[in-house]
Amino acid sequence: MKKKLTHIAVITILAVSGAAVFFNLKVMSLYKDIPRGISRYFISFGLQDTGSLNLVTAILYDYRAFDSLGESTVIFGAVSGIVLILSRKMLPVSSHGLSFIVKRTLGIMTPFIALFSIYVITHGHLSPGGGFQGGVILAAISIIFSIVYGSAFDYKRYSPQMKTTMETTGALMFISIGVLGIFFEGFFLDNLNFLGGKAGTLISAGSIPIINIGIGLKVGAGLAIIFYSMIQKTFREEL
Amino acid sequence: MKINIIIAYFLMSTGAIFAVITVLGLLRFPDVYTRIHAGAVVLTISAVLVTLGTAIYVWEFFLSMKVLLIGAFFLFSNPMATHAIARASYSREIALPNEYKIDEYFSYLGRD
Repeated sequence: MKKKLTHIAVITILAVSGAAVFFNLKVMSLYKDIPRGISRYFISFGLQDTGSLNLVTAILYDYRAFDSLGESTVIFGAVSGIVLILSRKMLPVSSHGLSFIVKRTLGIMTPFIALFSIYVITHGHLSPGGGFQGGVILAAISIIFSIVYGSAFDYKRYSPQMKTTMETTGALMFISIGVLGIFFEGFFLDNLNFLGGKAGTLISAGSIPIINIGIGLKVGAGLAIIFYSMIQKTFREEL
Repeated sequence: MKINIIIAYFLMSTGAIFAVITVLGLLRFPDVYTRIHAGAVVLTISAVLVTLGTAIYVWEFFLSMKVLLIGAFFLFSNPMATHAIARASYSREIALPNEYKIDEYFSYLGRD
C-alpha cells in the first residue's frame, strides 16, 4: 500500500516536472524559435550570440560546452587507465632512432609542425580546426620525437611530469573559465562576452579561444602520455 | 591565352606524365627496392611540378607562396620517408635482394 503510494507520487512528480519543462520551453520568449527546429536557431543567431565565425566551434564550446567538458574528462579517464595498466614507472626506454638523414630532415620540419598546431588551436573560432585537432598535431610532435630520435630524447625534452603538468593546466583552464562564467554571466560555462572583440578577428568570441587552448594542451599531452606508455622495450636498437 | 597559363598547363601535364610513369614502374619493376624508387617519383617530381604549375596559374603573391610552401614540404618529406622505408626494410630483413651479386649497402651500414 505504502509502496504503491510512493510509486504514484514519483510518477506524478515526473509528469508534472516534464510538463513544466515542456511548457516552460514554449513559454520562454527568448527561445521562441526552438520549436521550428534547433538547427535553424543556431544558424540564425549563432554568430550574434557567440561572436564565433565557425558555428561548429560555437556549438561545441558555447551551447554545448558542458558536453565538451565531459569529453575531455573521458580523455582524462582513458589516460589514467592506460597509464595504470601499462605503467613502466616513467623510465626512459632507450633506442637509437632512425638514420641521420631522417633526424636532420625532421629537425628542420618539426618547428613548422609545432607552428601549424598552434595556428589550428588559436584559430579554432575562425577556421576549421580547434582544440581537439590541434592537440592531436601537438601529440604527433612527441610521437615523432620518440620514433625518430629515440624515446630517451623524448624523455629528456618532454618528460612525463611536464606532460602531466600540461594536461592538468588544460583541465584547470577549462574549469576555471566555467567558474568565472558563474561570477560574471550567471551560468556555469557561459560565454564571457565582455572579453570579445569584433567578430572575425583573432581576439574575439569571448572565452572560446581560451577554452580551445586549454583543450589543445589537454588533448596533446594526454595522447602523448598514451603513446609513451604504450611503446615497449621491444624496439630493436639499431634500425 | 596568356603566357603564364600556357606555362602552368605545361608544368601540370609534365607532372601528370611523371605520375603515369610511377604507375608503370610500380607495376613492372621486379622487387621491393626498385618499386620504392618508382614510388618516390610521384611526390618528389610530380607533386612539385603540379604545385609549381598551380602557383603560376593563380599568380597572386600570397596564394602562390602558400602553394610553393606545400611543394617545398613535399620536396623535403617524401625522399626522407622513402629513405626510411627502404632502410628499415633492409635492416629488418623484410626484403633482402638475395639474387644480387653486389651489396654495397651492407658494407656502408657500419659507418652511419
